[in-house]
Amino acid sequence: MFRQARSLARVRDVRDTGAHSPLSDDGGPWAADIGDDYDMPADVDASFRTVRKVAVGHFAVFLCVVVGVPVLTLTVGWWSGGRLIGGMSPSFVMAAFGLYVFFFVLAVAAATLSNGVEERMLGEQEREPVDESDDS
Amino acid sequence: MTAASVIALGVLLLAVTVLAIVLRPGRASTLEFYLAGRRVGVATNACAICGDYFSAASFLGVAAAVYVSGLDGLWYAAGFAAGFVPVLLFVAAPLRRFGEFSIPDFLGRRLGSDRVRLIAVCVVQLIILSYLVPQAVGSGITWELLVGEGVFGLTPYATGVVLSTVAITALVVFGGMRGTTWTQAVQFLLLLAAFVWLAVVVLASGFSYPDAVAELDAEPLANPVLSDGEWGLATEPNRLDPGAPATFGEPGGRYGPFGQLTLMVTLVMGTAGLPHIMNRYFTSPTGTAARMTTVWVLGLAGLFYTLAVLLGTASRSLIARAVPEEPWLAKLTVDGVLRVPEHAPLVLGRIFGGEAGLGFIAIGALIAVMSTIAGLLLASAASWGHDVYERHINPAASQRQAVWAGRGAVIAVAMFSAALALGLRPDSLTALFPSIVATMVTWAFALAGSALAPVFILAIWWRGTTSRGAGAGMITGAVTAIGMFASATLVADKGAGEVLLAPTIVAAPLAVLVTVIVSSRTPTPKDLDRLWLRLHGTAADRRATRLARLTIVGVNGDRSGR
Repeated sequence: MFRQARSLARVRDVRDTGAHSPLSDDGGPWAADIGDDYDMPADVDASFRTVRKVAVGHFAVFLCVVVGVPVLTLTVGWWSGGRLIGGMSPSFVMAAFGLYVFFFVLAVAAATLSNGVEERMLGEQEREPVDESDDS
Repeated sequence: MTAASVIALGVLLLAVTVLAIVLRPGRASTLEFYLAGRRVGVATNACAICGDYFSAASFLGVAAAVYVSGLDGLWYAAGFAAGFVPVLLFVAAPLRRFGEFSIPDFLGRRLGSDRVRLIAVCVVQLIILSYLVPQAVGSGITWELLVGEGVFGLTPYATGVVLSTVAITALVVFGGMRGTTWTQAVQFLLLLAAFVWLAVVVLASGFSYPDAVAELDAEPLANPVLSDGEWGLATEPNRLDPGAPATFGEPGGRYGPFGQLTLMVTLVMGTAGLPHIMNRYFTSPTGTAARMTTVWVLGLAGLFYTLAVLLGTASRSLIARAVPEEPWLAKLTVDGVLRVPEHAPLVLGRIFGGEAGLGFIAIGALIAVMSTIAGLLLASAASWGHDVYERHINPAASQRQAVWAGRGAVIAVAMFSAALALGLRPDSLTALFPSIVATMVTWAFALAGSALAPVFILAIWWRGTTSRGAGAGMITGAVTAIGMFASATLVADKGAGEVLLAPTIVAAPLAVLVTVIVSSRTPTPKDLDRLWLRLHGTAADRRATRLARLTIVGVNGDRSGR
């Protein structure tokens, strides 16, 4: 109960003072009171490297598709001249629908993976068993 | 435009203003005024970002580009949407986790340099003005075409510029980020509703999308040109196959071998450097929420641009058929093709919904302009009010003084952009640029993608980035982009002109190279480890999530206890 009340008091402090950011070094209440949540530099570095791999990997796929479409236009006659649905060529279908679906699917995949990596690699200390009597 | 439409527009403006006043910041705090207290939810922020991002260029311009150029016009829409993929992968979450108020503030803190902050302020203001002026011009043109009458002795064009500027300035001054967020979210939903309605009535009339493309593709693409005082249709040459005519469904109507790629790179990189969009990420409660907001934005952008492309195609197909039955189209068209392609969605609205349909789509166009102006003014206010006034002019300013400095900056920037828009009478520049609005918006993307985005992404992902490197990179990107863009006015938009008009493909790599070279010879900030924890750690996210849960538990507990 005490921890809960202290946390709620911090919310009120932030609202009242208009502190700039949770980890502000402008003198806001958060800077001095790191509290129960913290990250170890080694954990952050490992998580950063993994998330960077996820981002670069997904960006490479994104780049291949975005650059691939104009390249196909210049090199493969069927891509622009063929007909897929009615008068729509594969190039038209890709630009009118396919790219938006691709962007969304890629975004969902990258966000899910990045969130999962951060959740697994950071904040481990908060998942360790705690003494229940603290809250009583 | 009918009296009913004018009344509807007036009611809409009034509703938006009331919403802004009702949701105005409760207390004089910069955190409330610029960032809505950092408590904007994922869905609300996604809608607000869409309202911010989808300007007249998206609402009228995409359908117009498809109408004029066929398949090549689709790349504007694809590029606008694609821009959010790098934002999601590289920017959204770490930017929010680091906090701060604006891009210059972020760079100044991350690199520990006031000099970098000031360089970034200059670049940001250039981008904002490049984006703001064409929006004001767009509102003037829309008013001129749809209302056709001025007030207080002003011309219709000037009336549109002045009224939209005054309305949005009032909204931003009183509403701050909180009021602007909600009005932008509502405005986006109205924009989407306008497109959904139009698409539904068009498809319900028996329009077949694939068959229309086949039909349009059967004959050469021709557009109106004014020659010797006479309007006539001229066949568009195929830029990929010299000597052959362009067709609607095949590439070559607008771009040569490099044009499509250079445009995509400019739009993709530019989005990550747009200050009014990036500032929105600071309003999310956590980095994870900022990331998920971008996923929503990509979904909504996909839906919006799919409809815009459909309507551009439908306009090309259906307007020509409607000319014999709709006499009012005669003065707007040449042999069934619109003289001004931006009229396409408006004309389609009138064909299928009469005057009310035209009014609905026209209101959508004005909303698109106004919501973007609001976002740009707030970004400008954050830059002048926070990055310059609070940081340099009056570091001891109280919260109230800082908020009023931001409000003053909003008014000053709005007046300046309106004055520029009034001076840049678009028809006086027709000889220089085919479309001053489109040219200036592309310029804003090019500058953002060349000067800000590369440095911004490096500062987030490369520990070795230094203040001197970032400063040199921003200056190199900006100068290269400005130089290439200025050169483009001397060269036609073919061959090298395609690269000069969309200079990011050259300027951004150059900015990266200069940043890396200079950074590798200069020292990094002393407290880099602490900054890195703040950028890529999730402790603040977890704390915010836990406190939110505790607050909900507390509120529910209070309710159940009563």
